[in-house]
Amino acid sequence: MAKQKAFYFDASACIGCKACQIACKDKHDLPLGVRWRRVFEYGGGSWVEQNGVKVPSSLFSSYLSTACQHCESPVCRDVCPVQAITKREDGIVILDSEKCIGCRYCEWACPYSAPQFNEETKAMTKCHFCYDLQAQGLNPACVDACVMRCLDYGELDELRAKYGDLNEIEPLPTNEITNPALVITPHKHSQKSGEGTGRILNLEEEV
Amino acid sequence: MNKENMIQKALTDTVLTRRSFLKWSAALGGTAALAGGMNLGLKTVEAAAQTAAETDGKWVTVACWHNCGGRCLLKAHVVDGVVTRVKSDDTHPDSPNFPVQRACVRGRSQRMQVFGADRLKYPMKRKNWAPGGGKKELRGKDEWVRISWDEALDIFATETKRILDEHGNKSIYATSYGDAFGALYYDPISRIFSVLGGNVGAWGTVSWGAWPAPSIHMMGGFPSTNDRLDLQNSKLIVLWGANPAWSRQGNTTSFYMEAKRAGARIICVDPMYSATAKTLADEWIPCRPGTDTALLLAIAYHMIENNLQDQTFLDTYAVGFDRDHMPEGADPKENFKDYVLGKYDGTPKTPEWASEICGTHPSVIRSLSQQMATTKPAAFISSYAPARTNRGEQYAQAFFTVGWMTGNVGIPGGVVTWDPLPGGPPLVKLGPRGTSYKDNPVFPSKYLFPFPDPADETWTGLNWSEQWDAILNGEYTAGVRGKQPIDIRMIYHGHSAMLNQSPSLNKGIEAHRKVEFVVSASQFLTTNSKYADLVFPVTTYWERVGDLISANRESIFWWQQASQPLFEAKSDLEISLALAEKMGIDIEMIPFEQVIFNQVAGAEVIKPDGSGFEKLVTITADDIKEWGVEGEPQKGRISLKEFQEKGVYQVERKPGDRFTHIQLKAFRDDPVANPVGTPSGKLQIHSANLAGHIAAFGWDKIAPIAKYEPPVEGYEGTLDGEYPLQLWTPHYLRRSHSVFDNVTWLREAFPQEVWMNPIDAEARGIEQGDTIKITTKHGTALRHVKVDAGIMPGTIATGEGAWADRDDDTGIDMAGATNSLCGPVPTGQGVQGWNTTNAQVEKWTGKPIGADYKQPQRIIFGEEA
Ligand code: SF4
Ligand code: SF4
Repeated sequence: MAKQKAFYFDASACIGCKACQIACKDKHDLPLGVRWRRVFEYGGGSWVEQNGVKVPSSLFSSYLSTACQHCESPVCRDVCPVQAITKREDGIVILDSEKCIGCRYCEWACPYSAPQFNEETKAMTKCHFCYDLQAQGLNPACVDACVMRCLDYGELDELRAKYGDLNEIEPLPTNEITNPALVITPHKHSQKSGEGTGRILNLEEEV
Repeated sequence: MNKENMIQKALTDTVLTRRSFLKWSAALGGTAALAGGMNLGLKTVEAAAQTAAETDGKWVTVACWHNCGGRCLLKAHVVDGVVTRVKSDDTHPDSPNFPVQRACVRGRSQRMQVFGADRLKYPMKRKNWAPGGGKKELRGKDEWVRISWDEALDIFATETKRILDEHGNKSIYATSYGDAFGALYYDPISRIFSVLGGNVGAWGTVSWGAWPAPSIHMMGGFPSTNDRLDLQNSKLIVLWGANPAWSRQGNTTSFYMEAKRAGARIICVDPMYSATAKTLADEWIPCRPGTDTALLLAIAYHMIENNLQDQTFLDTYAVGFDRDHMPEGADPKENFKDYVLGKYDGTPKTPEWASEICGTHPSVIRSLSQQMATTKPAAFISSYAPARTNRGEQYAQAFFTVGWMTGNVGIPGGVVTWDPLPGGPPLVKLGPRGTSYKDNPVFPSKYLFPFPDPADETWTGLNWSEQWDAILNGEYTAGVRGKQPIDIRMIYHGHSAMLNQSPSLNKGIEAHRKVEFVVSASQFLTTNSKYADLVFPVTTYWERVGDLISANRESIFWWQQASQPLFEAKSDLEISLALAEKMGIDIEMIPFEQVIFNQVAGAEVIKPDGSGFEKLVTITADDIKEWGVEGEPQKGRISLKEFQEKGVYQVERKPGDRFTHIQLKAFRDDPVANPVGTPSGKLQIHSANLAGHIAAFGWDKIAPIAKYEPPVEGYEGTLDGEYPLQLWTPHYLRRSHSVFDNVTWLREAFPQEVWMNPIDAEARGIEQGDTIKITTKHGTALRHVKVDAGIMPGTIATGEGAWADRDDDTGIDMAGATNSLCGPVPTGQGVQGWNTTNAQVEKWTGKPIGADYKQPQRIIFGEEA
């Protein structure tokens, strides 16, 4: 198997605090409106009356912190008309904002909406897995930021050996399009992608 | 549109009206409104940061200094005096037993606060200010005029002296805490008033809610919660109203996660399916705010009915539970058990009785009671929040009582506590600062916590829930002295956020427009400063020489300076010295380097065998020379340079080590030799002293045992129709109280929404994302709604601390500051009952409000000025 760097996310421990998101913004000086790491809250359920008392009925909710999945088959790269997106030997998918012509096709194509547009520079930007920090032997900024220690990274096959091979929970899309390099430990409320009965509860915060 | 794209899909899947769909499309289309300075920091700093080469800088340990409930290590990457990035503790490998002191999302945003474009840059005065106040009604909407420091100091000195001469010390109201809570809360400027004879002080139970008096009278003080590692011995942890994921950031929630991994079952009792509950809880039990006492009484009922209480424990360690174990002199009829059974009042406190009040299903109450009584050892951990209610003392009484009924006291894995922060005596500690403190003769600092003695006839201080009424009406409540006259002419705000953060902002604004002179010292145009006449720009900790702090029992930090003072900002210490000089008074101050040195030299760490403490830091004669301070060389574990470089010293821990702390262990082991500090030496379920103490404050009365009586603006207040909802106001991750509210990154990440259950939303024709109008007896605000089944029907919530933005014409607060909605209702020991407010909500038919992070920053003077 080719080398492939991947993220690990423990949904059972995430508290949705966004330290990872802001650590990423700080590391990369991201402007407002650009979030390379997003933290979603996904849930559903309702309340019913039982002997005159309103009680929660199958209420569920959990968090998902997600960035670029550095997919094994990156559609963002495939659709870019100027080859601004490339996959490195270690599997990291990088985007050269200098080359980008701002057509935003990658943003549209990526099922995770990982590439994001910088209004100021009129170019796309994207998580590059802190390859600069990794080159110095350091961890990606988000991984070192998590107060619940639910982010990790490494070689995909090693992460799979350690944590299993789940890589699709709601609200992520199903994995067949891009083969995301992602390993997830589910929350007790996590639902399989495509079979979800809830909705993103904090959509406004993350678009 | 690509149907597979998760964002697009979520947008299409969401039930959206056409209007809101268009709004979303627009949001997706970009954020053009933000073009230019997209992070909204100081442009000069951003530009310098962009050109700075990452490799040239160095990492220094910097302060994260907020009253946030955590204390974490932050490091700043400094290049040529500019901070390009922050990171957290990386001084040793991270592990559950020996965790690094990891910073939260707010600490991670600290750079955007310190270098925000809205930093106050120059001293300034209100355009229509004149000695005596000028056009006082323009406070909050006047223009600002930049002035020199000399003029600013002069105005302060002249007006303060005039007011003192004409009206005396009791005409000056200073809202900061003075020195009582240590360096972080110390406002050196208010010392000026102390030297000049004192000022009227501000006091309130604030965050603590109604806990302090019951804790003193029922358990003899404030013993800290069990150690974090001991939590792993608990089989059951009940987190009552506690959401550490928001209120105790940094590592705290991970400690509970470790306890869960070690096998603890976790139950959260809360009006919200909170972030903590979602992640940690095996069971979430909803309970209406302000009604927890009823729920607890029903839990007790089930235990008593089934004889599940730990009777041996109660008989040995407590008084007041039943008629055979009453404290001396108490009426035997006034025992807790007979009250619960309804022997004398005819009302058995059954789960059915409680359910109608607290909204929890009777079967859930029974199950909770059964689990609490039969799972051992168990930890019952409340936050302060359920006691931040009108009549909150009854909750504290009930929580202690029911917790103690289970006997989980002083044993591994067992605790009954009101602090979710695991505790224990320090294993490493700083030396004394060596500074002296001039106390305020009018309101001594010992009365800031745990609040004034109502029987003492000498103090003059205004309670947070009564201050604005006192200023407006000329009368305050003075304990046993009853109502007393007061005539405030000057308000000084330093190091506080009083106007924004105390009940009834509307009355507060009125009070600010009444007095002759308002001065504020701040870093931004906070609500305090917005309504002031004269504003001093203050530096942040990053622009000061550094300091040390105790982070938790295992760690101490040493912070360094990261930047020069921005523009003309000065530290409040410098301002106080300049004011003293101007006013010709003497305030004693030792050089700050000496203050730092004293703490380092005096730092001590526990010996490995736990037999005592030893010096932490080795100091050489050269160090002393280099620092230019007074001191003696000494031997310790680490060198001064190493400590300074690392910025942290942390004691390594292991499960079962000799440093494990268990609350009240000595008492449990031998209650005769180690009594608690109550009159009986035992846990006092019945405390006549508590009831007497509360009555002496002069607001309301409580029984000596836990009884449920409906609080003002509690659930019962919703039943007559006008305000049918209960508003409560949690701590929110966007801020630490009001601090950070201006940070654009955090505004973007955490919108100031109002959570509302779909049942309540539907009944009002309200949909997700609508602008809603919230009305209470005390004010009105507009906000976006978050329709979420995770909040209990009949209750709404929004995070405390948003910076008020009141439209003077309509009286509507456009920012959703909770004190625009919460009322000043002093009860008990002077509690701020923020979690008991009755409200109504309607859909707003006017112009919808925009996203918070797109609102203009409060920039008074540009960088070019
Ligand atoms: S920092 Fe960790 S706990 Fe917080 S949102 Fe990110 S992944 Fe979740
Ligand atoms: S919890 Fe407090 S000290 Fe820790 S990083 Fe957050 S704001 Fe700073």
